[in-house]
Amino acid sequence: MGRTTALLIVCLAVAATGLQAGLDRVGRPGLPDGVTGNILYLRSPGVATRAALSYRSLAADVYWIRTLQHYGRTKLSDEARKPYDLLQPLLDLTTSLDPRFNVAYRFGAIFLAEDPPAGAGRPDQAIALLEKGLVAQPGKWEFAQDIGFVHYWWRHDFDSAARWFQRAADMPDAPNWLAPLAAVTLAQGGSRESARLLWQQVVAEADADWLVSQGEFRLRQLDALDQIAALETLTREYEARRGDPPASWEALVQSGALRGMPLDPDGFPYRLNPYWGTVSLDERSTLNPLPTDAGTRP
Amino acid sequence: MPAAIRIDGLTKHYTVGFWKPRPYLALDGLTLEVEQGEVFGFLGPNGAGKTTTLKLLMQLIFPTAGRAEILGRPVGDVDVRRRIGYLPEHPYFYDYLTAEELLQYFAGLFGHAPAERRARASRLLDEVGIGAERRLQLRKFSKGMLQRVGIAQALVNDPDVVFFDEPMSGLDPIGRRDIRQLILRLRDRGCTVFFSSHVLSDAEALCSRVAILSGGRLAAEGQLSELLAFSVRGWELVVSDLRDEALEHARRVGVIAGVTPLGQGRFALDLPRDSSPERVLADLTAHGAQLVSLNPLRETLEEYFVRQVAEHPATRGLDQ
Amino acid sequence: MNPSIVLQVAGSVFRESVRDRVLYNLVAFAVLLIAVSFLLGQLTAGQDVKIIKDLGLAAIGTFGLLIAVFIGVGLVWKEVEKRSIYSLLSKPVRRHEFILGKFCGLGLTLVVNVAVMSVAFYLVLGWLAWRETPEVRASWAAPATDPAMLKAVLLITVELLLVTAIALFFSTFSSPFLSVLMTVALWVIGSLSTDLRDLGTVVDAPVAAGLARGLYYILPNFSAFDVKAEVVHGVPVGAGYVALTTVYGAVYLAFVLAAAVAVFARRDFK
Repeated sequence: MGRTTALLIVCLAVAATGLQAGLDRVGRPGLPDGVTGNILYLRSPGVATRAALSYRSLAADVYWIRTLQHYGRTKLSDEARKPYDLLQPLLDLTTSLDPRFNVAYRFGAIFLAEDPPAGAGRPDQAIALLEKGLVAQPGKWEFAQDIGFVHYWWRHDFDSAARWFQRAADMPDAPNWLAPLAAVTLAQGGSRESARLLWQQVVAEADADWLVSQGEFRLRQLDALDQIAALETLTREYEARRGDPPASWEALVQSGALRGMPLDPDGFPYRLNPYWGTVSLDERSTLNPLPTDAGTRP
Repeated sequence: MPAAIRIDGLTKHYTVGFWKPRPYLALDGLTLEVEQGEVFGFLGPNGAGKTTTLKLLMQLIFPTAGRAEILGRPVGDVDVRRRIGYLPEHPYFYDYLTAEELLQYFAGLFGHAPAERRARASRLLDEVGIGAERRLQLRKFSKGMLQRVGIAQALVNDPDVVFFDEPMSGLDPIGRRDIRQLILRLRDRGCTVFFSSHVLSDAEALCSRVAILSGGRLAAEGQLSELLAFSVRGWELVVSDLRDEALEHARRVGVIAGVTPLGQGRFALDLPRDSSPERVLADLTAHGAQLVSLNPLRETLEEYFVRQVAEHPATRGLDQ
Repeated sequence: MNPSIVLQVAGSVFRESVRDRVLYNLVAFAVLLIAVSFLLGQLTAGQDVKIIKDLGLAAIGTFGLLIAVFIGVGLVWKEVEKRSIYSLLSKPVRRHEFILGKFCGLGLTLVVNVAVMSVAFYLVLGWLAWRETPEVRASWAAPATDPAMLKAVLLITVELLLVTAIALFFSTFSSPFLSVLMTVALWVIGSLSTDLRDLGTVVDAPVAAGLARGLYYILPNFSAFDVKAEVVHGVPVGAGYVALTTVYGAVYLAFVLAAAVAVFARRDFK
């Protein structure tokens, strides 16, 4: 091969690569940016499982990676509206291709159930996904526990949550803390105490770092809620004594009710509303937004 | 002692044409017998059925009718193949093997131990004149070298009967001479040699008997010299340095039918069959002429076949 | 049948495949596996061991399948086309010995191939496990170097041998192009064979359903050999299932080889 030929080959290769990059920049005609990334080639799990032949679990892995990418990309996107529109079909495909893909059920349920913008805000889809997992593996107590969890945390349906915790507790190999959890949820559903119990179990039992940090985050939120409640008690007492809420934390410190500037579990100072005497998180705090209902009752 | 080869009414029909299948008679009732120790020439033009016959004997194809025996056993008997060798037409072997490995592989098929395989491979490659090339992969071999390897592999089991399909094809004149000598050595060892050729001179130098095949049928059989069509009809004498008085003198010794100047001082003299060429030649050389060549004039196989085909209208396609 | 002849023909097939650089696919396999295991860690939320297992087992099967199909269809065809079979069959080699030798040779190539790939596979998994903490290892559905995966490897090997036999069968009378087409088609249908069986439940045509059911029993059931998902998730695969499937594969393979011998025995080499 002569030098000219070699040079020609290199030039053509560079040109082809450059053109490909150019094509990428131009985008497909008539479609807004980002739309091309949201194509789902297959929507039917039945077709997918047949087309995958003996490569089903590998195809499931591919769809799982696509699920994670879709979730992560949507979550990190700058757009105000985060549709997560492919989350449910992708998870459905993943779990149809590999019905024993436990992580896909459990993480997928969390992605689906979380309120926007962190998730799709579809607890119904999360429950359906976990129930599909229970059909494939009827003895999997984790799925029943997770269904109870979704009912508890995102639907605030504490009766259903208690029922599912009990079902999970009745399954073989279920851990022994599930029965007390069911009892507490039934007796004082929605209390911060049962929520704390729930998350503490998640942190103790979770087998993925991601879930552990999620649980720790929820526990910090619960701590913040406890602290906010305690601080608001202080401001109410102050108001009862002085007629007006404290104008600032310094006023509370000077009155001897506080020893210093109150910090949330993330280390940011709490905000005091001097007009109403209410307490909230600093907007820089990562604990935002605090859950508004479930587990907020003392 | 059974015949080396006995062929009895061997017939092969092929079906040709995919959309309109029609029969094609490749071999038509061939009957032939070859004694042990003979060198037998199986002659005919291309397409006469020589290769078909050899493939039938090797059970590479199966006859439509008739039967064949080798050394008194039917050709289907695998034990027969322990005692025979076969060189296919235009032989081809495995690209990835060296000549040495091919022969060792084939020797192994006869149950020889590895040491014996190596010894045989080495001896046979020497015999057919393959030198250092024996360590090259066969895909690098020329047609002539493949032909030599093909002959070596046919002899790997010291066969009692060998079948060579066009052994001279693809060889240069030296190669042809080597193979001729090899066939004569085989004959001297008592091996029966059955070879096909479309070149008459190959057969002439070697064969005790020949069979001539044309259009799938046996056209003639016997000793080549006995076959009327091939007996000598005259001589062509080519000489140089021929002077006129020498020619005049020679005309008195024997009959010279014609003189053709060939250029460069050479002349071709046409001598009739009964003109005793030895005496004419002796006379000419005595007068200073130099011998270039002396060739018998007779019908060539090609001429013979042209005449055969003219005499027997086409019998190949049964539908014609 | 003379086993020594079969062995020697097999040996020549094995030597040819080695010289044809067939075993280079092992390098591709190792590179693929190692590259993917480096890349995956970031992406997969702790599922990299599962995905490496899925990928490794799928690749062992696929590389083998490519070899079985693309070399298998040429095994006999090439000998006939290049006429090397002429001199071979004039030796004391019976035609069925030739066929069996060809099969055993490619079978040996595949077994060696699968064995080496499995060793590489276990090495990569062992390395992945060694990298992780005991807590992470405890969270896996099955240990990284779970010996139960050898069951899947065994069944993949049986499947590959069956594919080889089918490719060889087509090779005895058909061109490589058509043989590849037919072998792959059979493999695809065989991988979907449970759909054939269950066609009756979705189609309201008893004749078609009956025909499909008949095909289900006649065609090779390749999906039976696929226990990759089970072993990856640590679901027990019974020794009885493995044994029965292996016997099924062996019997089917023998049937295909017998058919190949029958076709080849009467074939004319024009």
